[in-house]
Amino acid sequence: MKFTIQSLFLKIFFWFWATAIVTGIALVITFIFGPGRVPSRWHSTLTDTARFSGLIVLAKLEQGGVPTASSSIESFEHDTQLRACLFELSGNPVAGKSCETFADMRSRASISRSTQFGVKYGLVRVALVLHGRGAHDYIYATELPAGPRAAFGMNRAEVALRLLVAFSVSGVICYLLTIYLTGPILRLREVAQQLAQGKLSTRATPIIERRGDELGALARDFNTMADHIQELISTQRQLILDISHELRSPLARLNVALDLAKEGKAGNLPFDRMESDLTRLDEMIGRLLMIAKVDTASMPVEMKSVDLTEIVGQIVDDARFEAQKRDVVVVIEAREHYHVRGNAELLHSAIENIVRNAVRYTSVGTSVEVSLKREDNSQLSIEIRDHGNGVPDNELGRIFQPFHRVAEARDRESGGVGLGLAIADRIVRLHGGFIRAENIQPSGLKILIEIPS
Amino acid sequence: MRSMPMDRVLIIDDDAELCELLAARMSGEGFDIEAVQDGNRGLERALSCEHSLVVLDLMLPGMGGLDVLRQLRTQSPIPVLVLTARGEDVDRIVGLEIGADDYLSKPFNPRELIARIRAILRRTIRVAAGTNPLVVGDIRLDRASREARVQSRLISLTSVEFALLEMLMQRAGQIVTREELTEGVLGRKLGPFDRVIDVHMSNIRKKLGMNQELERIKAIRGSGYLLVVRAETK
Repeated sequence: MKFTIQSLFLKIFFWFWATAIVTGIALVITFIFGPGRVPSRWHSTLTDTARFSGLIVLAKLEQGGVPTASSSIESFEHDTQLRACLFELSGNPVAGKSCETFADMRSRASISRSTQFGVKYGLVRVALVLHGRGAHDYIYATELPAGPRAAFGMNRAEVALRLLVAFSVSGVICYLLTIYLTGPILRLREVAQQLAQGKLSTRATPIIERRGDELGALARDFNTMADHIQELISTQRQLILDISHELRSPLARLNVALDLAKEGKAGNLPFDRMESDLTRLDEMIGRLLMIAKVDTASMPVEMKSVDLTEIVGQIVDDARFEAQKRDVVVVIEAREHYHVRGNAELLHSAIENIVRNAVRYTSVGTSVEVSLKREDNSQLSIEIRDHGNGVPDNELGRIFQPFHRVAEARDRESGGVGLGLAIADRIVRLHGGFIRAENIQPSGLKILIEIPS
Repeated sequence: MRSMPMDRVLIIDDDAELCELLAARMSGEGFDIEAVQDGNRGLERALSCEHSLVVLDLMLPGMGGLDVLRQLRTQSPIPVLVLTARGEDVDRIVGLEIGADDYLSKPFNPRELIARIRAILRRTIRVAAGTNPLVVGDIRLDRASREARVQSRLISLTSVEFALLEMLMQRAGQIVTREELTEGVLGRKLGPFDRVIDVHMSNIRKKLGMNQELERIKAIRGSGYLLVVRAETK
């Protein structure tokens, strides 16, 4: 992973971490510096403790004077990391280094002449009046090991260590959380880049896909999209390969025919062949354009109510002329005028391709039957059946692919460029319907189209 | 020397119209064309020994062109020119490796086809027949009977391979350039990216085998090939 200032990883990580740290600090600050009250049930214990140490200092003072008292407080401060001070009742400090910090409490204590409690810098402090020898009164103020700071520890190194632990624990947790959130995004990004580079089979890993959260949903959508794109592109690629392959045969023939014509010995043969190959190329291009038109959803197709019975009637009339040459009869069966929502030109082309195929492949002297029926309220079906040799069962699904020719139909005498059924299939699907082929007994092929009405 | 006035050429291609046009075009050039549309029948006819050369479409339906060629090569050294799809280099290389003598991609100019057929025929059928055997080291080419032997073991070479080996043996110990080989055997100029000679050479090397663990034919990078002459060979 490579991080930049902009990266989502760093953003999420630092925001999480900062939140954790700031929350912690705020909590500590309110504990330590916030005004605190000492619960009254602690008062007697705290007073006893303070009085005990105060009396020791007082005894030292009366025994050895100010220097002894001062050294006593200093050693107390050094041992306990707590501060203390001995005042005269008037307010003058007698012993202790940090007497100004207790100034407030001292003045309150000297006015009220009663014990004062307070919490400052996270420690409880007590100021009380001590009665010395000869009715000489003093005020002793001290911090006591109680309160939040006592819980954190008095030693600075120890506090720093604890802070370090807090920082690193929150850091690790935030790091893991961030990895959990941004890891899948980065992996998905890698997959997207590979896809963009043309590795169309790349997919997001199942680990991301199985996640139940939004990232999992994103990965699943991404994979669906990739599947779709891969299929579209491979279909197009196959079509282009097929086209170039199919263009080769007429071009090879044209080349030879042209050369033959130049020699001038073969009479009309080369010219006739050139003409029929040019017609075939023209037809192929027309049909390819039709496929492109139907395939690209970018061009909206105009849909309106269309009389299907009329269209089929027209096609059958046209086909009869061609059918006569092969002694084939074309029969149409339709009870009423059926209407569908669609594009008349496209539907005409689709059905015509199938009917012409049927006329071409049915056996000489047989019939081609076209029937229109209403399946139920929402579906219309058109059935076209011939009495030819049918199609091998394993090829039934493939006859709707562009340029697929059943092996036996390859003799080009039968004409056709292998695009008719592919076009029909695309048009029917464009209308929300489907098309399928099945062999019928004893012989023949039935093509069934269903279109929503 | 063949006594027939016309060269009989067998065309195996599923495009009947193309075959008909080719027959019309080539009959004016002194060829007698027989056209067959499917692979099985084509193989059967190719093995009949009635033709001087076979033109084989590799894109045959059913039994594919490559299969026809593979089976044909197990039994016959007849020259084969394959027709391939333009851009499908794999087919072309495999075709040559299996034993095709030359290739042409579809669509092609018929004059080019005729020129290539003539070149192959000139080289493989007419030249050198009846002359003395060529001997270099332990390789012996009997040009009258078109037999090749290595250490008196008979090896089967296709017509073009035979012609290539003959050229190398006539100038044993010297470099024969790829241009000379292409022109001499295939009757055409060496094209860019033309690997036909190299594929044939690799086939010949495989058939000749090693001589005391050394290559008999050396490839001279950038120029051509050389048949190694060794004093100590028997």
